[in-house]
Amino acid sequence: MLDKNAIGRASPPTLNEVEKGAIRRFAEAIGDYNPIYYDEEYARASGYPTIIAPPTFPASFHSAADLRELLGVGIKSLLHAEQGFDYERPIFAGDRIYVSTRVSDVFERPGMSGKMDIAVIEDEGRDEEGNLVFRARRTLVVRAAKETP
Amino acid sequence: MPARKLYFEAIRVGDELPALAKAPVDRVQLSRYAGASGDYNPVHVDELYAKSVGMPSVYAPGMLVMGMLGQLISDWARGGQMRRYNVRFIKMVWPGDTVVCKGRVSDRHGSGGRYFVEIDLWAENQKGELVMKGSSQIQLFFSLEDENRQRSGQSPIVVEVPRESLSNATANAAAPTANAAVPSEEGDEANERREGVTSKKTVPREKPAAKTATLPSAKKAKK
Repeated sequence: MLDKNAIGRASPPTLNEVEKGAIRRFAEAIGDYNPIYYDEEYARASGYPTIIAPPTFPASFHSAADLRELLGVGIKSLLHAEQGFDYERPIFAGDRIYVSTRVSDVFERPGMSGKMDIAVIEDEGRDEEGNLVFRARRTLVVRAAKETP
Repeated sequence: MPARKLYFEAIRVGDELPALAKAPVDRVQLSRYAGASGDYNPVHVDELYAKSVGMPSVYAPGMLVMGMLGQLISDWARGGQMRRYNVRFIKMVWPGDTVVCKGRVSDRHGSGGRYFVEIDLWAENQKGELVMKGSSQIQLFFSLEDENRQRSGQSPIVVEVPRESLSNATANAAAPTANAAVPSEEGDEANERREGVTSKKTVPREKPAAKTATLPSAKKAKK
């Protein structure tokens, strides 16, 4: 069973600069060639100030979070069970976004072979003025390593 | 010029998003996604490692498949602003698999000049097995006129639109598409919390075959 005391543990905000090339490579990797991710003029004609990032782009952001530290256990394996995003606005090329990560919940859920440990990890992205840009939630099935770190 | 935009006034509950069939996933794509996302978990890129931990081969990260389903939404909702996007990963996607992304409008509502559509989403592999399911909320302008007004600094067009899943439940059930197999919302706690009773009773839903998937993630708490 994961330590309930992990709930609320957070990492300090880490700056992520949103680069056009990173947006392009991310969209290409998905196989999504919507010009809104590549073409400045097209994006402006679509009503945006510049090119925007695909909805799952925050998956590429860095945060200072170390899950072993946040959860307080060694990790044998992680299984990504669910993912969610809430968006305040699109993410634009040139954005400078501070991403912090916190443990929003840990609990047990019955699984095929006994109880499974579930951790819900929430990332929050804010711009330089401190305005919320997005929230991301990962639900992970955590298998802790036998020995503690 | 940008493609034609989607406006709230043109959308009906039950509308289907044009299905998006992606090119087969291959190992090059897995490498590219690893590089682009910064997630170098070796189970997605290192064949020897994946086999050493008991997998038949490398497999696609769930976030890549979520990105594909995101493309389905963005292609359809041109001019819209995604507000929420949630998925549950159900079955693994392997090299050679073809992901087909599908979606249907489950609700629409507007208040105070802000208009939203709710979409049920799911992705299948080439065998028709459910690999992922989810939902999204998109904010749209009511109409071209509404967009022009707002872009020129005027107030939005205000039409009160109650959640149609409540008011039009009977009409929806009679629609020809309404009885097609849609991933069940049942037991999806996040959805229940978010949408309350609104989207649950509108359309009779069959349980997806992939409920029996062997991944622990597909198993749900029995109450």
